[in-house]
Amino acid sequence: MQTVDCRKMDCPAPVISVKKALETDTELTVLLDDGAPRENVIRFVKNRGFQVTEKNENNYWTITISPTGNFEKTAVRVSADHDQVILITSDKLGEGPEELGKLLMRNLIHTLVEVETLPSKIFFMNSGVSLTCEGSELLEAMEKLANLGVEIFSCGLCLDFFGLKDKLRIGNTTNMLTTAESLLSTTKVIKL
Amino acid sequence: MNNRLMVQEGQLLAIFNSGHRVMKAENLLKSHNICILLIPAPRQLQTDCGLAIRFNEQDRDTVMSVLEQNELLPEFISRYSSAEFVTIWKHNQTL
Repeated sequence: MQTVDCRKMDCPAPVISVKKALETDTELTVLLDDGAPRENVIRFVKNRGFQVTEKNENNYWTITISPTGNFEKTAVRVSADHDQVILITSDKLGEGPEELGKLLMRNLIHTLVEVETLPSKIFFMNSGVSLTCEGSELLEAMEKLANLGVEIFSCGLCLDFFGLKDKLRIGNTTNMLTTAESLLSTTKVIKL
Repeated sequence: MNNRLMVQEGQLLAIFNSGHRVMKAENLLKSHNICILLIPAPRQLQTDCGLAIRFNEQDRDTVMSVLEQNELLPEFISRYSSAEFVTIWKHNQTL
């Protein structure tokens, strides 16, 4: 059984690490710090049809993850939404007045938190990178999405162009190679 | 706290019936440095414009006073309490 050591990781890194490990194994042992990392990982795997046993090891937790009886049903759902990638290329949604476009984009990201089927990844490019940076009103919502297993990436070239390299507050920086590979390896890309 | 909601226990939501009014109210409250967040109205509180302004109990009096002075009072206000939305104020009505 694979062991994933998530100690000393900040959220959402533990959820992302476990999610990646579950792509190849259905049974895992995970070492976790108490508090948000443990809570987020347990919530994430239970939502995806796994069962969990926990053991307190003095200053960290060992959790063992294995499939439940209805795993096949939930696995289908995981596999279906795993394919969806959202590409956001602007801080506004659609054509029209700037104020309305920005409001619609904020509304959409906040709404994603509530919808049943989540994308596996969201890529932010061009002016869209401002949404993942300091001052964005969407950081709370994106942290929730990240803790639900959604991977968030911002274009490094775009961050550099807008002088936002040191202001990224959620997710990771990515390059065009990773972005292009993700877009081409999935069956469903939603461009906004 | 429900992890799939943008509202935490005890927080308040001001529900408006028009996108223009909610956007005006957002700008106004921000200009008064009140900590608010414009979010989609939760399913249970679906409204015409589908938006709500989230704020904390301690800012309630300031929020209401600023909105009243500018004739931008919401349709109603709900508090998120024990996983339910409870209407605590309605325009032109005493609860």
